Amino acid sequence: MTSLSRIMLAGLGALLSATVAASAKTTIDFYFPVPVQGALAREMTRMVKEFNDASSDVEVVAAYTGSYDDTRLKTQAAVEAGKPPAVTLMSANFVQEFVISGEIEAIDDLLAENGGDPKTFLDDFWPALRGNATANSKIYAIPFQNSTPLVYINVGHFKEAGLDPTKPPATWAELVDAAKKLTKRDGDKITRYGFEMPGSYDYLGWLTQAFTMSNGGQFFNVTSPGEVYYDQPSTRGAVQLLHDLVFTHKVMPEGVIDPNQVSSDFFAGKASMVMLSTGSLSFIRNGAKFPYTVAFVPRNVRNAVPIGGGSLIVFKSITPEQRKAAWKFVTYMTSAESLGSWSRFTGYFAPRRSSYDLPEMKAFVAEHPDALIAVQQLAYAQPWLSTYNVVAVRKAIEDQVQAVLSGKKQADEAVRDAQKNADEILRPYNEKIAHVSGF
Amino acid sequence: MAAASAGAIGVIALLWSAPFLWMVVASLRPDSTGSLDIASLIPAWPPSLANFRLAWESADFLLNYANTLMVVAGTLAVQLVTISLAGYAFARLRFPGRDLVFYLFLLQLMIVPPVLIVPNLKTVTRLGIYDTLWGVMAPYWASAFGTFLMRQTFLGIPRDFEDAAEIDGCSLIQILRYVLLPLAKPALIAFAIVSVVSHWNEFLWPLMVIDSPSHRTLTLGLASFVSSGEGDAEWGVIAAGTLIVSLPLFAGFIAFQRQFINSFVMSGIK
Repeated sequence: MTSLSRIMLAGLGALLSATVAASAKTTIDFYFPVPVQGALAREMTRMVKEFNDASSDVEVVAAYTGSYDDTRLKTQAAVEAGKPPAVTLMSANFVQEFVISGEIEAIDDLLAENGGDPKTFLDDFWPALRGNATANSKIYAIPFQNSTPLVYINVGHFKEAGLDPTKPPATWAELVDAAKKLTKRDGDKITRYGFEMPGSYDYLGWLTQAFTMSNGGQFFNVTSPGEVYYDQPSTRGAVQLLHDLVFTHKVMPEGVIDPNQVSSDFFAGKASMVMLSTGSLSFIRNGAKFPYTVAFVPRNVRNAVPIGGGSLIVFKSITPEQRKAAWKFVTYMTSAESLGSWSRFTGYFAPRRSSYDLPEMKAFVAEHPDALIAVQQLAYAQPWLSTYNVVAVRKAIEDQVQAVLSGKKQADEAVRDAQKNADEILRPYNEKIAHVSGF
Repeated sequence: MAAASAGAIGVIALLWSAPFLWMVVASLRPDSTGSLDIASLIPAWPPSLANFRLAWESADFLLNYANTLMVVAGTLAVQLVTISLAGYAFARLRFPGRDLVFYLFLLQLMIVPPVLIVPNLKTVTRLGIYDTLWGVMAPYWASAFGTFLMRQTFLGIPRDFEDAAEIDGCSLIQILRYVLLPLAKPALIAFAIVSVVSHWNEFLWPLMVIDSPSHRTLTLGLASFVSSGEGDAEWGVIAAGTLIVSLPLFAGFIAFQRQFINSFVMSGIK
């Protein structure tokens, strides 16, 4: 035992002295989630290393912190323990919570200190991204990797079913019609599904929002974080559509499917149309051994989708030097070049419009025109569900839609219960703003 | 009759080992991204080590191994001392409020660990061991389960042994060292297995405490390429990485299989 603890002490000592030797630079912590496979973590590590090598006075320690939800948990715990990171890549719809708790810096202030202009800063970013980046007329987050839902289509199956792959389903009716033609049955057994989408947490809330919006509705109050619109005709219709795809038309599998299953089924030819993030584009491009095409999310009333992805936020309670260092790092990470290179690597679209004017981006888009579909859909994109205690509020509807997908509930009851549960979760915030006496 | 029960055992064994078999098969499958037969248990021919190469490059596994070994050994070493002493105190010593203290101690088993993340993290920060391996180990140095197990084991040992040792002039520490602990060896081994396996596999707490890449444990290294949200999984690489992470545990279990099973049987843990 003693020799072991001596080795441990020696090891720790060596690590400690290594950090001390490097501390001529200002060290800052950067938390990032790994929303996709290992290649992305390697690329992120490479980008951070490039910054560290080029910088004479800042050293960024990049810590990957699990999923988006894990990252939120780790960041919140670190803040409460008094060890906030300088910068986190946070799911774009979690930003609001950190604004409410007052834990993050307004980017406006950082811009003003560094000679930037808060009024024009977001002009280069796609308008659809601005909602989740701002709160109460101030910028709080800088979009880094963004996505919208897309429909991926197996071209061979389309032709075989007598459908035209150059005219993908544009409306819900066309979606149902195409899915019926694409579904293959062997007696009572379904051997190929016309349509599939993930029903797991995080994804399901996002896709339900996409259908609600394309049904003409709004999922939540964009300006007040205490209100969601679950028990509304538009959301009810969206949930009814999912119910009908599974139980009336029998073109989508019953129950909750996770995203990996959906992409595996698409690759295996067991699903002809799948709804996934634009963030999966590179993966689908590398994995599909057959021609595929991508299409907008079909509309019932209008074309509309929520954005997804992550943004960079800067934390308070770090030293003034770290604050300067954090800004340098964030500026580097959100340059048109960095965002463009990350977008080419991942399949996320680049949040800055000027990224697409770069020669390497033009060459890439010419070679992969499907990378532009997500960008074109941006014209119809709007903010992503963002409320007080957003994960619980999101799960309130996800639990109900999962019950519908599993045949345990009808759409009516599901949206009613979702609203009831969400209102309960939102109550603390609403009570605070509803009872303002005592000034 | 014998053939039938052997057959039944074979079926159960196959069911239990299917995930492990799949992991081995998938890790050796070449070009598994989007492959149609990734779910198959039939190996691809010729097998390829490409997944292992990719997985190995995805994380600094040697460093991660060293860190996990330090955490597991450092946790267990302290635990063995604390649970033996505490178990002895609760089993043999008489002091006011002993049973009350013991039950309070057991209450710890009822608390779900995630609830303690923030308070523990605050303590760890105040002690100055945030982002160190000590911070990962510290909260586990007192184990309610281990204390309970040792108390029960000591209660099951007749007092006569201790009385004889005392007559021969043993001190309390000597009695513990030369009489009780050797007799409690099966319980200690059983506890060691439970402790090593759970800390080897633990993800959430190390994730909370560790920031620096140089202090990452195996599970954190593995997570860097298996967590998938909007993107999708490279199954072959994940299988290879999981195999790399779990291999030492498998090897250890196979090497000491007989002893382990005896310990569990004797200590009554299942």
